[in-house]
Amino acid sequence: MPDLASRTLAFLEQRALALPVIPMLQPADPFLDTAGEALRRRIFLSEGETGETLCLRPEFTIPVCRHHIASAADTPARYGYCGPVFRQKRQDGPAGANEFVQAGIEDLGDADHAAADARSLADALALIAALAPGLQPRVMLGDEALFGALLKALKLPDVWAARLLRFFGDAAKLDAALKSMGAPVATSDRFAGMNRAALIAALEPEMEAAGLLEAGGRTPEDIAERILEKRALAQGGVSASARAVIALWLKMEANLGASLDAIDAFARAHRLHLDGARDAFAARLKAIRDAGVDVTRIRFSAAFGRPLDYYSSMQFEAFAPGGTLPLAGGGRYDRLLTLLGAARPIPGVGFSLWLDRVQAAAGRPSS
Amino acid sequence: MITLALPSKGRLKDDAIARLAAIGCVVEQTGAGRSYRGQMHGAVDADVAFLSASEIARELASGTVDCGVTGEDLVRETIPDWAARVMIAAPLGFGRADVVVAVPHVWHDVETMEDLNDVAAGFRARHGRRLRIATKYWRLTQDFFTRTHGVQAYRIVESLGATEGAPASGAADIIVDITSTGETLRANGLRILADGVILQSQACLVQRVGLNAKEAAEAASLAALLNRA
Repeated sequence: MPDLASRTLAFLEQRALALPVIPMLQPADPFLDTAGEALRRRIFLSEGETGETLCLRPEFTIPVCRHHIASAADTPARYGYCGPVFRQKRQDGPAGANEFVQAGIEDLGDADHAAADARSLADALALIAALAPGLQPRVMLGDEALFGALLKALKLPDVWAARLLRFFGDAAKLDAALKSMGAPVATSDRFAGMNRAALIAALEPEMEAAGLLEAGGRTPEDIAERILEKRALAQGGVSASARAVIALWLKMEANLGASLDAIDAFARAHRLHLDGARDAFAARLKAIRDAGVDVTRIRFSAAFGRPLDYYSSMQFEAFAPGGTLPLAGGGRYDRLLTLLGAARPIPGVGFSLWLDRVQAAAGRPSS
Repeated sequence: MITLALPSKGRLKDDAIARLAAIGCVVEQTGAGRSYRGQMHGAVDADVAFLSASEIARELASGTVDCGVTGEDLVRETIPDWAARVMIAAPLGFGRADVVVAVPHVWHDVETMEDLNDVAAGFRARHGRRLRIATKYWRLTQDFFTRTHGVQAYRIVESLGATEGAPASGAADIIVDITSTGETLRANGLRILADGVILQSQACLVQRVGLNAKEAAEAASLAALLNRA
């Protein structure tokens, strides 16, 4: 690995990236808040002397973004990293292994999203090529914003659009959600006929009596609004034709070079206007071509998403030929820096790469 | 001879000893009244260790006792990868309790886990923090929320004392806790979700994997007698 790590550092230095020092021991909350509680059993937790929960660095994206926020650095800024991360029970690798080397680039605050997306994808592929010459990775690319635009064009109720977007990239859960969308929604008629103000007036004394008004959680307004949302859902379900269009969309695949035509043909056939998300996709595709990436080697899948909820549009993964676990993965995360405490929205895109997987793939003959 | 761990106090201890007596196994506490060692004689002989129910689960996992009577909830919660390390040999029909998801009763819009998923997903945008779940059962909670229902957006607050008080005190928004009649939950203004039963637990005879042939035969005859009764 030292050879691969030094070649990675040379690659990052060539691009004149800032290489921040990211401590090995990190506060655990930002990871658990952002990636979810499921991460808890996959990371190494510890406790500081004053009771704060710490963890061994499980990845770099979140600490690099926190470093950017804390140092109040100017944007745009590009950061590179290469170093060990600690995980329990990663699916592959030697039995009992829990230390792996990750490298990657985070690109924060560039207003030209298309160019930044293209640069991130091109850099990920160039780094794989530098570390494993001759390896022809299989690349999958999806776009969550396009899926959001499809749901909007179909005029799906907000509740359902949010539910489907939440499961984007998880075929089984998305399928189950699509099926349950056809079922009637049961609502209790305890509040039948009440409008928002009447609901709040009814809920307030009940919450007060339960001691919940001061507890700092959900408010009578929150509950009233969801009661109204559910009532609207019960009255007008999602039509079978809308569900069929969504199911068809999720089956759409094409090589990236032909993807825009496929998307436009789909929109025409179903009379949908995907507007902004479609135009952003087109601009990104042009930028990817301009960056010299061979788009015929990348597979666009309308259903492809990575199992992390902070991505907002483009997401991609690169696999060794015949491999099922990604060598590298990345995407755009425009909400992440706000979630981590940035005072103003900072768009971001980045990728990371597992050095051990690239090394293993480089050692195998490529088909 | 196998080592059998039994609950060291309370209803669980009395029920376990009575149940063993019913199959012809007499448990005697050796030495003074407060001793934590004992013997079982009769249909099956065993060395007995009296431990707390959660210690029994841990000792089975580490292999220091061969069999034990403890709750299924504790087996699933306390032992990582439990199915590879211990086996539930006989459900015993007492110590029944459900591990459940309960929300404030006034959350009239939240009846199912799907509703809860909607609320959890929008929680941070509305309140600047994740939905908090107070529980002593973080492993069962994660499995149920994340694997079964695809809920990602929540934080677990480990609760040491009375979990059911957490929503009113502001320590958490909802809870995952154990209940037998639901009375305590109702008294605290909480309601179990329609599909919120994570586990219907009861006391079980649990044995560790990797017993030698003789021990395995003794454990099997104990389990057979308990299953028949």
